[in-house]
Amino acid sequence: MSAERIYRLLLRAYPAAFRAEYGREMVLLFRDQCRESDVRTLGFWVRVFWDVVRSAPALRAEATRTIEVIMKLAAVLTLLVGVFGVVNAVVEWVAWGTGTIAGRHGLALVLGICASALLLAGGAAILRPTQRGLHAARYALLASLVLIVATRLLHPWMSVFSQLVGMGLPVAFLIALYWPRKPSTFGAA
Amino acid sequence: MVTKRRGGKPPEAYLPLPPATFHILVALADGELHGYAIMKGVEARSEGSVRLGPGTLYGSLKRLLEAGLVEESGERADPERGDERRRYYRLTSLGLSVVRAEARRLDAMVRAARRKKLIGERPA
Repeated sequence: MSAERIYRLLLRAYPAAFRAEYGREMVLLFRDQCRESDVRTLGFWVRVFWDVVRSAPALRAEATRTIEVIMKLAAVLTLLVGVFGVVNAVVEWVAWGTGTIAGRHGLALVLGICASALLLAGGAAILRPTQRGLHAARYALLASLVLIVATRLLHPWMSVFSQLVGMGLPVAFLIALYWPRKPSTFGAA
Repeated sequence: MVTKRRGGKPPEAYLPLPPATFHILVALADGELHGYAIMKGVEARSEGSVRLGPGTLYGSLKRLLEAGLVEESGERADPERGDERRRYYRLTSLGLSVVRAEARRLDAMVRAARRKKLIGERPA
């Protein structure tokens, strides 16, 4: 197997988008290195492998930063779900005022309004990418989750969709917010 | 005085630069270069102590392009290196400000070390 073929295999360690953009240039550079070095020596291949080992994981980690764009879109969705939840609960509250809803259902409605408002606040906080904003989002989402669970216990007739959205969104965001991130602009290179 | 640039970030906000990034920017201060010329420039300037492989070089260039410190200046063959077309890169005005700011920062550190007699006087 030629040195260039081995290097092309090693290039698979890099993210696909990076390979598409710089793969050809990297192979050209590798060819230049091959012309000036003895490719049969161990030292040459140690340098080649070390370069891949020290650069590919960082570029892969950066590629996953697109998750932050997805987080923003999801935060906007959470805002909308929060607004919808508050409006829906207020409509039911009005029905409660006319005497059609009573007792535990009423309390469940109050908790539902609070949970939706917290979900809304959590979504708004995620859109502010500061440490304080993310900290506030964690508390808001956790409180929203607790209230939704309490609402579900008080009012077992809650729809499956509401349960999935009410519990799924805070859980997904809490996992995403606690996921470790890489802070540097230019990486470690 | 700190001048604000693209995206509202002053050059000092990019500091400190990783060694490989600083070497690449210093190499590009000579003018537009392709990847191999940058690699050789860095190796020569550091007297062989910094050797950039293709992954480290293009990983750094990608970040520098995204930050607006470097820009592509075209694609053409280098007559000395065959007829394969190569991408050329050059510093932007922000990149020049950032590399100057980093050089000043390093110079201040060296002067402080010299005052504390951690290193000798500048050779004549």
